[in-house]
Amino acid sequence: MNTDKTRVVVVPCSGIGEPFGTVSREAAYELCEELRPGSTRLLALAKLVLGEPEARELIARHPAVTIDGCKQMCAAKMVKQSGGTVAREVAVLDVFRRHKDLKPEGIAELNEAGQKLARVLAEEVAESLDTSEQPVKGASHV
Amino acid sequence: MPEYLETTVDKFTFRVATDRLYTPQGAWVFWMKPEAPNRVRIGLADYLQQRSGDVAFATVKPVGTKLAAGEMLAEIETIKAMVELPSPVSGTVAEINPALDTTPEVVNQDPYEKGWLAVIETTAWEADRAKLLEPDAYFEAMKVEALEELKKL
Repeated sequence: MNTDKTRVVVVPCSGIGEPFGTVSREAAYELCEELRPGSTRLLALAKLVLGEPEARELIARHPAVTIDGCKQMCAAKMVKQSGGTVAREVAVLDVFRRHKDLKPEGIAELNEAGQKLARVLAEEVAESLDTSEQPVKGASHV
Repeated sequence: MPEYLETTVDKFTFRVATDRLYTPQGAWVFWMKPEAPNRVRIGLADYLQQRSGDVAFATVKPVGTKLAAGEMLAEIETIKAMVELPSPVSGTVAEINPALDTTPEVVNQDPYEKGWLAVIETTAWEADRAKLLEPDAYFEAMKVEALEELKKL
């Protein structure tokens, strides 16, 4: 019996040295571990870069939500290059533009505003997952 | 469409439009002659926008603001830093790029055309102009700066 209830795979940015990259990972943890632990699964971008078979299989079976810290959109690009489908393509910068007061600072440890931005982002993605009965095929922006 | 000087440093390619002047800090100044000989359009050079990172917000002093050269014209908040841009010329802010409100990323996407910041009605153009760099001079200075930045990585 298939007990895998995963609806989407969440792939955050793996950039270093910028608060926006940290926000993407914090938001992914928030989403997968706190908000929607039963229906999401976290996947490290590095596993796709390495071409790990399990990671490729995972994104072949489930649509992905990518959360990128900069406009290079490495997570979204890598999922597509690996043959996966990006159901939601989120850029932290776009969310920040809607929440100007939540300026993230700090890299190893985000400031309070950065943590709130990650929470807001995670909540937005979680809500968008709730409103789509079936995993959405094709890219869209949250 | 302007022509460009172009150089590649490491994996980054930087362009300098040849139809305008520059400040040493990396702002460009386009003289709107002949249709508006007292006006200049101002924006960020390609190198400055790339070095500064993705633009989140760009705030320009309101239309009607009088500025002396060197006074702050705009604040550009990027994912890396807050860039304070001094006005390269003296005059009055006459126009602000409306795209900055809704799509500030245009500064990154098209820094020399659609990503302009402001138009200034100048009051001392000849004097200000003399302090600006020709494109080839800015290009050489930019290359040196880019190589210096690369050494820090």
